[in-house]
Amino acid sequence: MAISSHFLSRLTARHRSIISGALALLAPLGTLLGADSARQVIANAIVEEEADKRIELVNSLVKMKDESVKPLLAAWEEDQIFVYQASDNAPKIPVTLMGDKDAAGTRAAIRVVDEKPLVDAEGKPVRISAADAETAPHNSALRRAFKTVNDLLALSSPDRGERIAAINIFGMAQEPEKLPLLESALRDEKSGKVRHALVEAIALIQLKDSDLKVRVGAVQTLGKIGSIPSRDFLTALEKETEGADKPAISKAVQQAQAEIESHVKFANACGTAFAGISLGSVLLVVALGLAITFGLMGVINMAHGEVMVVGGYATYIVQCLFSEGLHLAPFGFGVDFPGMHLKGDAFSWYFIAALPIAFLSAALVGLALERGVIRFLYRRPLESLLATWGVSLIMQQLFRLIFGANNVQISSPSFLSGHWTVADVDFPWNRVFVFCFAIAIVIGTHLLLTRTSLGLLIRAVVQNRQMAACMGVKTHRVNMLTFAFGSGLAGLAGAFLSQLGNVGPNLGQDYIVDCFMTVVVGGVGNIAGTVISALSIGVADQSLQKVLGDPVYGKILVLATIILFLQWRPAGIFVTKSRSLES
Amino acid sequence: MPRILSKTELLFVSLLALFFIVVFPLLNASGVISNVTLYQWSKYLCYAMLAISVDILWGYTGLLSLGQALFFSLGSYMLGMHLMLKIGKLGSFAQSGQNPNFIPDFLFFLGYTELPTFWKPFYSITVAGLMVIAIPGLLSLIFGFLAFRSRIKGVYFSILTQALTYGFMRLFYVNDVKMGGNNGFTDFKTIFGASLQEPSTKRVLYVVTAVTLLLVYITLRWLTQTKFGLVQRAIRDSETRVLFSGYAAANYKLFVFVLSGLISSVAGALFIPQVGAINPSEMSPVKSLEAVVWCAVGGRGTLIGPIIGAISVNALKNWATHAYPDLWLIFLGGLFILVVLFLPKGVVSLPALIRDLLVRKKAAPEPAPAAEGVPAKP
Repeated sequence: MAISSHFLSRLTARHRSIISGALALLAPLGTLLGADSARQVIANAIVEEEADKRIELVNSLVKMKDESVKPLLAAWEEDQIFVYQASDNAPKIPVTLMGDKDAAGTRAAIRVVDEKPLVDAEGKPVRISAADAETAPHNSALRRAFKTVNDLLALSSPDRGERIAAINIFGMAQEPEKLPLLESALRDEKSGKVRHALVEAIALIQLKDSDLKVRVGAVQTLGKIGSIPSRDFLTALEKETEGADKPAISKAVQQAQAEIESHVKFANACGTAFAGISLGSVLLVVALGLAITFGLMGVINMAHGEVMVVGGYATYIVQCLFSEGLHLAPFGFGVDFPGMHLKGDAFSWYFIAALPIAFLSAALVGLALERGVIRFLYRRPLESLLATWGVSLIMQQLFRLIFGANNVQISSPSFLSGHWTVADVDFPWNRVFVFCFAIAIVIGTHLLLTRTSLGLLIRAVVQNRQMAACMGVKTHRVNMLTFAFGSGLAGLAGAFLSQLGNVGPNLGQDYIVDCFMTVVVGGVGNIAGTVISALSIGVADQSLQKVLGDPVYGKILVLATIILFLQWRPAGIFVTKSRSLES
Repeated sequence: MPRILSKTELLFVSLLALFFIVVFPLLNASGVISNVTLYQWSKYLCYAMLAISVDILWGYTGLLSLGQALFFSLGSYMLGMHLMLKIGKLGSFAQSGQNPNFIPDFLFFLGYTELPTFWKPFYSITVAGLMVIAIPGLLSLIFGFLAFRSRIKGVYFSILTQALTYGFMRLFYVNDVKMGGNNGFTDFKTIFGASLQEPSTKRVLYVVTAVTLLLVYITLRWLTQTKFGLVQRAIRDSETRVLFSGYAAANYKLFVFVLSGLISSVAGALFIPQVGAINPSEMSPVKSLEAVVWCAVGGRGTLIGPIIGAISVNALKNWATHAYPDLWLIFLGGLFILVVLFLPKGVVSLPALIRDLLVRKKAAPEPAPAAEGVPAKP
């Protein structure tokens, strides 16, 4: 969902540029038909002698909504537009200068009207020195007109974000003369977000109104919409009215401040909850793999965290291969991998390519682990815990030897950077993505277990291994595949984690304790329990961090809660019912 | 039970004890054995106690605790508080004329001027010594009570103890807890008024450690041969049958858990004046697991095994971390895997294995020490 809506916005941006390009092509046609292009109007205005007419011409630019207006007006104001006259009686031609200076200090002259090089009677390009040329004249009235035109153009920009940015600047500046402009914009505006910004900006400007009633009304509006940027202005207003006897205003200000404060609290709470959910979804993906291997085989895989790191490093390698290549020097043997030197959007695809590679490499490691160590220890869970811990130590050290002891940097692809803001709550794209992908993985795992023949075999082995073997299920193969699948999920989790932080040799250790807690609380061998426990541990962890102000106390409190929870439900949230005495 | 030790074992143990408690320090005093070697052996003996504490839980009761390093560190911290206060005027802030109340340097550095109330009783070494027993004892009592009451066992117990240790490690890293944060306690000067730098003090501490280890060994040797020890091993082999026979298995387990916590704690308290530093990284999960490895390598389910394991693995570590610093963790990990896969009863089972090989006679099949999951009947 996250990607698709993002792609949509990119697509429309591209469309827009195509449309404006087409419009630019059509512009000369418009000139032919009698309507002047914006460039033409500006060129006319520059050579116009009468001040009133000139301002009129500039003001008429507002209707054109042409992208070239803003840079041209800026160039005019900064004395970058020059007026060229071949001889005293020749027509005046406004030009800009382009290219490098030559020995005589002159640069090529480009006509403002059509952006073509200016040529003299013989068809040779004209070169002018900036020092000698006459600049296009402007006075204060004209510059005011420029500003108004720019403001109006910004307000009518087709891009919603640009409109909001322009409106916010007006609001912050608190200039009363912008008020009619904004009010008329509010009448025509359809987008809810822009309307919100307009209401906010109008209220901010009205805070300076001479009429007391208008001011009180503005304060109330700001409170009602929970305007966070207005807090400073309200505090200033409160100070200002402290001495003066204006109870209506100070009362309104206090009320508005309280309303804004509660809005901020709400936004923060939402942000914390979302951070918790996204942490929970990472835990979920890691713990899901663990729940599957633990639930199926009763094997505690202490190297699960390291398998996850394999996924993270796989992402790193793919990233390096997409960009500058990679140099590794394990055990003193230098190995170079050439890179593809991709940039921009093409580079961003590395993450999509990395996901299956992370899954497969982690699954392969899991397969090797199962074949090499774990299959000898199916009936001895405590020993499997020790042996896999040994594997995890070896893997950590190998990571250090291959990739170095420091964390490696993994950059976010462009479509995952930035965030989505709803009512002042930020939802960073990478966290939204992790959350959505976690849901997809849970659904996929559920379907695998319930709708495929492999899933049927897995469930049969979980319920009764001996009976399944008697019915001809090759339990060894099922074990192998399940273990590889669980490890692959860990690899995917590692790829996600690379988007939320750096990848290093110790990353697995930071997560393994939390993951085991998640599995134990959820109840062994069922997905629903793991989902609930991962999300609740994630949210509890994040919100306690915020409430207590220290991540450590939060963690410890969560731990204590888990121990107490297990008093109440020793086998987790959902218990797999069994008639056997010892399970 | 006619006698605690059999004749050969008695001879063996007394010879070893005589060597390590009397001959070894004498050789050091006469300069044959260097101070560094003595210090190393002190450390090994403390670790041996830690390994024994793992063993009476894991090898004898079937409970794999991954939290023994926590109790070990708590013991170290409790005595460490006393040693920190004994630095007094010799601290670097006090030396430079600041710090008028002679509080520990790290507290002064954090901006405190007065000693926090909970530190004050630790001026007395008696209180500190009591705390070495009380704090880990209480913690293991509470945790054990909760865990065994809800019948948490097997890998669940291991994971929970690991999480507990991890939680405490994070807690001790926090400066506001006033336990030294990241750097922990270090730079001790005196114990009982004697300088910790003096070789004679070190020798005395070594002897105390060795004697404590001997006492722990004899006590546990006796305990495991009583009826209590029998129930303990029965719990390990089939807890359900023990329950059905009318024994309150939870109480037995709780007693062993607290006892094992106390042994670790005492080992930690003996460890700190000799090593001279304690910090939260001593509680990291890998430390607890190392202790489990010592026990596994030596041979669990015996009391001599953990001692042999602790000494040999640490001697190996001592050598490998200098000779191959990059590869030590790979060694350790490989040792874990090899021992678990090929030598489940540890090196103490080697002579028997070799003898069997020589005689070419199959050994009578014995039940595995920690046989889990006896096939259940509905």
